[in-house]
Amino acid sequence: MAVIEVTGLRKRYADLTVLDGVSFSVDEGEIFGILGPNGTGKTTVVECVEGLRRPDEGTIRVLGLDPIKDGRALRERIGVQLQQTMLPDTIKVREALDLYASFYADPRDWRELLVEWGLADKRDARFGKLSGGQKQRLFIALALVGKPQVAFLDELTTGLDPQARRATWELIKRVRASGVTVVLVSHFMDEVEELCDRVAILDRGRVVAIDTPGGLVGDEHRMRFTLMGDDEVELGGVPGVTGVSRTGRRMTVTGTGDFATAVTAHLARHHVLVSELRIDKRTLEDAFTALTGRSFD
Amino acid sequence: MRKLVVVETKLLIREPGALFSLLIPLFILVVFGSTIQPGDTVLLPMAVAIAVGLVALYMVPTTLATYRERGVLRRLAATPVRPGNLLLVQLVLQLVLAVTACALLVAVAGTVLGARLPARVGAVVLVFALGTAAMFAIGLLIAAAAPNGRAANGIGVLLYFPMAYLAGLMQPVDQMPDIVARVGEYTPLGAFGQSLRDVWAGAAPGPLPLGVMAAYAVVVSVAAARLFRWE
Repeated sequence: MAVIEVTGLRKRYADLTVLDGVSFSVDEGEIFGILGPNGTGKTTVVECVEGLRRPDEGTIRVLGLDPIKDGRALRERIGVQLQQTMLPDTIKVREALDLYASFYADPRDWRELLVEWGLADKRDARFGKLSGGQKQRLFIALALVGKPQVAFLDELTTGLDPQARRATWELIKRVRASGVTVVLVSHFMDEVEELCDRVAILDRGRVVAIDTPGGLVGDEHRMRFTLMGDDEVELGGVPGVTGVSRTGRRMTVTGTGDFATAVTAHLARHHVLVSELRIDKRTLEDAFTALTGRSFD
Repeated sequence: MRKLVVVETKLLIREPGALFSLLIPLFILVVFGSTIQPGDTVLLPMAVAIAVGLVALYMVPTTLATYRERGVLRRLAATPVRPGNLLLVQLVLQLVLAVTACALLVAVAGTVLGARLPARVGAVVLVFALGTAAMFAIGLLIAAAAPNGRAANGIGVLLYFPMAYLAGLMQPVDQMPDIVARVGEYTPLGAFGQSLRDVWAGAAPGPLPLGVMAAYAVVVSVAAARLFRWE
C-alpha cells in the first residue's frame, strides 16, 4: 500500500524552476531514499510533502491526506527532522522531549525515548552542550515522539564523523523495524546504498530514476589491467564479458556475474602476463553519471 | 500550550539578557536615587522608560530573530502546533518581563527612595500600555527585518542609544538643544518619557505624545507583520 503518492509536482521561485514534474510513491514500511546533489530540489520535495511548502502544481497524498488542506491532521501522524534546524541552546533534553510530546494528541512516553536513543544520562544537559551525534539522536527522538506512521529525515548525517554516521544508520534501521515508514533525504551515496529499499534519483528538479539501489547500480562491473607484452588478446567470447576496449597496453573489460574469474583464467590459459589488475564495483555514483551525463559533485 | 509557556518561561529566566533588563534600570535608579529630593517626579519615569526600551529593543528582536534563524519556528510548523503560538507566548512573556522590571522600580523607588508615585493609576496604565506597544512594535520590526539574531541584537542596541538620547534619558530634556528636544517628542521613547513625567507630576498626559505612541504602535506593527518571515 502506498503511504505517499506524489504526482506532477512543480515549484518555481521567481524565474528559477526548482521542481519540474516530480512523481513518486512510497510504500508502507519501506525506507525510501531521495538522492541527488546539493541544490537539486530534494528538500523542497519533502517540504511540499510535509505541508511546509505549497507546490505550484501537482497533487500530494500522504496517508490519504492533502498536506495543505488537512495539514493539522497530517502533522499528528508524521514525524519530521529538518535540515539545519536547531533548538535554543539553553533548553534541556528532557524539556525539549516533554514539550514536543505535548504537541501531539497521543504521544509516546518521552522517558522511553530517552533510554532508546541513548540520551538517558543527558536528560538534564542543555542542547548547546550536546555533541553532534547526541543532537542528531535528540532530533530523531523528537521526530518520533508523536508516534508517527511516516518519518522524514533530511540530511541526517551531514557533519557527523564516520563512526557517528554508522551509528545513526543503525538507529534508522531500528526506526523502520518498529513499523515506521521512513523517507530519507541524502546526498550521500553510501548512506542510500546501505539503508534504502528504493531510491528516487533527483537531478535538476526531475526524477531521473526510481529503483532499488541494486537495480540502479546493475550487476555490471569493470576490470582494468596492463598487458606485459604486445600479445593480441581476444576476450569477447569469454562468458559474462559485455565489452572490451584497449588503449595501447591498457585494457578495460566490462561484464556481469563471475566474468572476472573467467577473464583471469582465460589469460592464464593463453600465457598472457598482466599487471596493475583492478576490479571496480560499479556504484550508485556511476549509475548517477550514466543517468544524467554528469558527475555527482 | 501550557507546556510551551512553562518551557519558554524557563528559557527566558536562563537568558542573561533578561536579568540585565531588570538590573540596569534598577542600578540607574539606585545610583541617581541618592541625589533626588523627596517627591521627585523625573527619575522614576526615566528608569521605567529605560526598562521598557531595553526589553523592547534588546530582548524582543534578539529572541524572535534567533528563533527564526535557528529554525525553531520552522520546526514547530512541522508539528500539529502553529508556530504563531510561540510568537504569542514570547510576546506575552516579554511583556511580563517589562511589567516586572517596572514593578521592581516602582517598589524600590516608592519604599527606599521615597520618590513620588502617581495618583492617577488609570492614566499610568494607559501611558504604559501605549508606550510599551509602540516600543514593542519597533522591536518586532527589527525582528522581522534582521537577517539573524546577531544582526537583530546589533540593530536593537544601535537604535537604543539615539532613541534614549532623544528621549532625554541621558540628559534632561530642558538641558538639550531646543530642536533636539522637539524631535525627541516625536520619537516613541520620547513620547513615552514625556507622558510618564506628565502623569508623575500629577497632570493628565498630553494628547500629542499619546497620539505619537499610538501612531507608532499601529503603523510599525503593521509594517512588522508584513515584513515578517517564518524562515
